[in-house]
Amino acid sequence: MKNSSYLFVEEDKRGRFFVIICKGVTLLSVSLLFFMFLFIAKESLIFFQNTPLRAFLTGQRWNPLATPPAFGLAPMIAATVYVSVLATAIAFPIGVGVATFLSVLAGNKLPNICLPLIDLMAGIPSVVYGFAGLLIIVKFFETHFSFSSGESILAGGILLSVMILPYIISTCHESATKILRRYKHVSTALGVSRWHMIRYLLFPSMSKALFSALILSFSRAMGETMAVMMVIGNSPIFPKLLHKAQTIPGLIALEMGGAHVGSPHYRALFAAGFVLMFVLFVFNTLFFIIEKSLEGDA
Amino acid sequence: MDPMLETRNLSVSFGGKVILKGINVSIPPHQITAIIGPSGCGKSTFLKSLNRLINEEEGAITEGHVLLDGENILSLQPEKVRRRIGMVFQTPTPFPLSIFDNMAYPLRYYGYKKENIHTIIIEKLKIAGLYEEVQNNLSMKATLLSGGQQQRLCIARALTVEPEILLLDEPCSALDIKNTLNIETMLAKLCEHYTIIIVTHNLFQARRLAHKTLFMLDGEIVEEGCTSTIFSQPQDERTAEYISGIYG
Amino acid sequence: MNRFRRYRGIRIWLFISICLTFASLAIILGYIFIHGINELSIQFLLGTPQGFPLGIEGGIWPAIMGSLGFTSIACLFGSILAIPTAIWLVFYNKNLCITSLCHFFIYSMAGVPSIILGLFGYAFFVVTLKLGVSLLSGGLILGVMIFPFIEVRVEKSFREFPLQLVQASLALGVTRTWTLFHLVFPASLGDIASAIALGGSFAMGATAPILFTGAVLFAPVPRSLFSPAMALPNHLYILVGQGISLSKAYGTALVLIIILLALNSVPIFIRMHRKEG
Repeated sequence: MKNSSYLFVEEDKRGRFFVIICKGVTLLSVSLLFFMFLFIAKESLIFFQNTPLRAFLTGQRWNPLATPPAFGLAPMIAATVYVSVLATAIAFPIGVGVATFLSVLAGNKLPNICLPLIDLMAGIPSVVYGFAGLLIIVKFFETHFSFSSGESILAGGILLSVMILPYIISTCHESATKILRRYKHVSTALGVSRWHMIRYLLFPSMSKALFSALILSFSRAMGETMAVMMVIGNSPIFPKLLHKAQTIPGLIALEMGGAHVGSPHYRALFAAGFVLMFVLFVFNTLFFIIEKSLEGDA
Repeated sequence: MDPMLETRNLSVSFGGKVILKGINVSIPPHQITAIIGPSGCGKSTFLKSLNRLINEEEGAITEGHVLLDGENILSLQPEKVRRRIGMVFQTPTPFPLSIFDNMAYPLRYYGYKKENIHTIIIEKLKIAGLYEEVQNNLSMKATLLSGGQQQRLCIARALTVEPEILLLDEPCSALDIKNTLNIETMLAKLCEHYTIIIVTHNLFQARRLAHKTLFMLDGEIVEEGCTSTIFSQPQDERTAEYISGIYG
Repeated sequence: MNRFRRYRGIRIWLFISICLTFASLAIILGYIFIHGINELSIQFLLGTPQGFPLGIEGGIWPAIMGSLGFTSIACLFGSILAIPTAIWLVFYNKNLCITSLCHFFIYSMAGVPSIILGLFGYAFFVVTLKLGVSLLSGGLILGVMIFPFIEVRVEKSFREFPLQLVQASLALGVTRTWTLFHLVFPASLGDIASAIALGGSFAMGATAPILFTGAVLFAPVPRSLFSPAMALPNHLYILVGQGISLSKAYGTALVLIIILLALNSVPIFIRMHRKEG
């Protein structure tokens, strides 16, 4: 007689009921993602029937109040990418530097103080960052460089870089400690200096983690709403470094309140959200795959 | 003497790989039966199939019959089997609860009344030889006990539900000599009321304790019989080699 | 000597990185603390927004209560989704493919930008389910937002519970469900509470999801689940964005940060309590 492993036989009625509930909730919670996707896609598809996708993505004018209304997302797409690339470019070297410092040079005590502080940085709400950015970065630009307005892509990029730092630091630090745990004593036994080890052993081994940190922080930057919105000026024009611009999240946040449910404007905003969601989904999936393969290496 | 437990053609495989190949043994009641053999021969798998714990592991397929008092346990609900066949593991597994709550845990599950719970706990702790050491500290966290005490607690806990058979998977391998002898003395007394099957790496232990010994190799029972016979006049060449230390 | 000079570049880089990072943190928190501490008075904490434009005087009590309301609903709903999911994935599901798949979906959910959640929350809870702009709509979408956060932590705690102990319990003939309720959960309560507290702090700071689903410019302390409410982060945004009052904004920011610090210290207390016991 064959018996294979099965779950339900060993449970009494109450137990079986409990398992079914847990399974049901799991099903519900993972399908939330689908549900969200479908909902937003539905509204967007109606929009795309009137305005083709290509025109939407490449159109340069966004003016929902004109007749006929113009829904060109290109400036916003450009601004979102621009500010995110800028933020990542600023934050990446700093984040990797901090991670390297904490894993190689700091002793045992210092990381125990620093890492919670970095978690704290990740826990500060977006709107507080925006507030600080307005008061510190924008003001700085206005007073010291006499810009007419300090709100700009540059301000957004700098602020955003501070916000994504903790993610870069924790991803890289985790990877660095793993690598060091395995190889540090071997390198030391060869009489090689720490610096040489960092440059020729640590960084090459960390390349996968560095790449995944890049992707993670870039996608976080793209999805950030409030903080960027507060310092970037929100002008739906093509972005230039020292001028105002508007990101897709900012666009949606500012205009959603004024769009009537079911109007073309309403649907256009959904379409913009759909584009953002789709791009981020691709990035996040990439990150997930890389992380899984990193886990496999460990 | 009718055997307490009998296996007929018991085979267990994991994901295609066969671990136990058609095991046929009979375990006599109220005796200590030892299972010896080199690492990886399937001793633990065999024990786990006796109390159906093997079914917890993914991909395990069991075939054959395991008869407890004539009834095939493979067709019974696993909990019912485990109440009659208890198990103690290699590393002590006290729950992160007080000593009292550790002991009361299975009793509460089976719905014993409060008054009875207290009595049973004291009784079993005495049998395990632990009562005198902990009688004033029953509310102490069990994880604070020493290794040997923890293991005795686990044995006492397994006894609370009055199993007919007690399985022990290398119970002393994590303990020092003094604790080992403590437990061996306890097991020798226990077999008056219980049937004991013990897997052990320690050949001296098997010799000291067991009435009957089974030698396992590569998922098969190579030889079984009275302990003194197995150790002095092993029939099979492989048994002789193992006993003289070639396998280890 | 040569080597020293050669690697000076790296040393400078590492040093600057550390300085910049912690300087930013110190400046942000310091600024808010210094400017906001003067605002913290009983009238500020317990009063309602007054003056014209609204908020230039008075206090932020409705916003504090509104935020607490949104966060509580979020924690409740988020845990209701997260905990059974974690239980099923760790203790009842044996198929590794399904586990990976679920992890992927949960992870993807965590990557959805907060504004998209707001969009979905508006279209689904407010419009389709006709819950209106309310505490309930806002709380529910925040719950969706923090569900992955809580689930990941609770799942980690469950996986860290020694499998051997579960087996020992099963070996006594106890069912898996009973083992969960009487052995695993009591031991994991601390971790679960920490996860919920951290999730709550995440929810409390979120502005975008409740922007059009629950938070409004001005409302009294919410009376029912279906009434709209003010929220601290949104109030901060309005005060700053509309240029209403910088000093009140500092005060609001400080209050928000203090509440968040309090929520974030819950896990620390739990860990300390555990070490003693």
